[in-house]
Amino acid sequence: MSREALHESLSAVMDNEADELELRRVLSAESDSEMRSTWSRYQIARAAMHKELIEPRLDIASAVSAALAEEPEITAVKPQRFAWRNVGRLAVAASVTVAVLAGVRLYNQSEVAGPQIAQQAAQPSIAVPQVSQGPAVLAGYSEGTVAPGAQVTGAEGSPESWHEKRLPAYVRQHAQQAAFGSGSESALPYARAASMEDR
Amino acid sequence: MRVIPLFVVLGGWLSMPAFAAEADLLMQRLADAEKKQSYQGTFVYERNGSFSSHAVWQLVDGQQSRERLLQLDGPAAEVVILNGKIQCATEDMASQVREATPWRQHQLELEALSKWYSFQVIGESRVAGRPTVALAVRPRDQHRYGFELHLDRETSLPLKSLLLDESGQLLERFQFTHFTPGSVEPADVEGGADCEPVSLAVEQKELTSTKWRSDWLPDGFQLIDSDVRPSPASKEPVTWLSYSDGIARVSVFIEPLDGAVVEDARSQMGPTVAVSKRISTAGGDVMVTVIGEIPLGTAERIALSMRAGADQASQ
Repeated sequence: MSREALHESLSAVMDNEADELELRRVLSAESDSEMRSTWSRYQIARAAMHKELIEPRLDIASAVSAALAEEPEITAVKPQRFAWRNVGRLAVAASVTVAVLAGVRLYNQSEVAGPQIAQQAAQPSIAVPQVSQGPAVLAGYSEGTVAPGAQVTGAEGSPESWHEKRLPAYVRQHAQQAAFGSGSESALPYARAASMEDR
Repeated sequence: MRVIPLFVVLGGWLSMPAFAAEADLLMQRLADAEKKQSYQGTFVYERNGSFSSHAVWQLVDGQQSRERLLQLDGPAAEVVILNGKIQCATEDMASQVREATPWRQHQLELEALSKWYSFQVIGESRVAGRPTVALAVRPRDQHRYGFELHLDRETSLPLKSLLLDESGQLLERFQFTHFTPGSVEPADVEGGADCEPVSLAVEQKELTSTKWRSDWLPDGFQLIDSDVRPSPASKEPVTWLSYSDGIARVSVFIEPLDGAVVEDARSQMGPTVAVSKRISTAGGDVMVTVIGEIPLGTAERIALSMRAGADQASQ
């Protein structure tokens, strides 16, 4: 194979225009030291033309080859090291996951807590459980039974019990007076009053 | 709610005078029909936290009207009403009713009502297997709820009533599932064994001149009744004031706190809201509780407007 042909192929590889045959030719001549120096020169010339900074003497390929040649036989230890590295990777991945989850949770918490705090700040007066929030508290509207959530203390003076003792009777009086005390013939206020008696 | 978009779509031609007039006519027929029609049927009542079904019989014979209501699920609550007064009731159903003639009879007075509500026919419908006409009753301000009535074509009685809040959310549903006009036997309106005669609390003869009045009420609300009773939890007297605009009703309870430290409270049971506000007076703090089928904001405003004073506004 002529030098000219080889240099042409090298040039083609440089310009990224080599066909498969040319690439094979260049690769098979890889051990040729003259070829390597030519390659090196071409690289420098190209870098100069593109105004790129390049260390002309940096022959990474030979450096890597030399390093590989000097590598001692430590093949027996390698798997263990690999295992540990994987564990390390897993640990890193896990900690990232935890961090992300914790972050999301903290974010959500702060999002939820915000309005709650705002609500508390705005309306410190709401001490009695809101009946609209569920049937559990509705049970508190029947005398004798106290919803578990609503029962805080049985103390005479506690605000919850003050309302609990009175509101059912008030609601009942309102509903029954509307249903029966006004001469109304409609069944609707009666149904309302009956629903107040339901458990 | 699907209803509101329908309102909007039909709003254009519904506002035509002919339809408004038809709505008024229907409302008048409803007002007339409620006391003249014998019927029997079953209906359901639904609100947030409660669902129940009931049977009803009404027998109108000349000037006498007898009505029996029986709950069909859960406790068999029963009430028999003769000419608007309770004859008998199962326990608790009428425990808080007192025998009294309200100062103003609750009646559907269309002319007054149309100041606070607008009535419009929104189309044909079908309830309990019967043809009905749907009527939108919309409030003219934000201080009361609107509703949707479905009136029986034949008798003009309301077979379905949906109470809607300001955003069109359903607050309660009253709806017949079976309805038969006429054909009610006298035996149908007799109370069962558990229906005990009601001994209504006798009205105190001396005029309980309540020293409480309201500084502000929504337009159209009038004081229709008042009373002073012992508190359900103590011996303190509780002033009760009842207001109505002809449809919606509001009760105000005022109880002396007697030095107790009690927080304000609010709660909602379907259409019924309860707001408690602490108010300071010269004679110590009182708790004002407003209960009614009105928006929360209106109830709060009424609670805050209660004043102790000799100059009773409307008595």
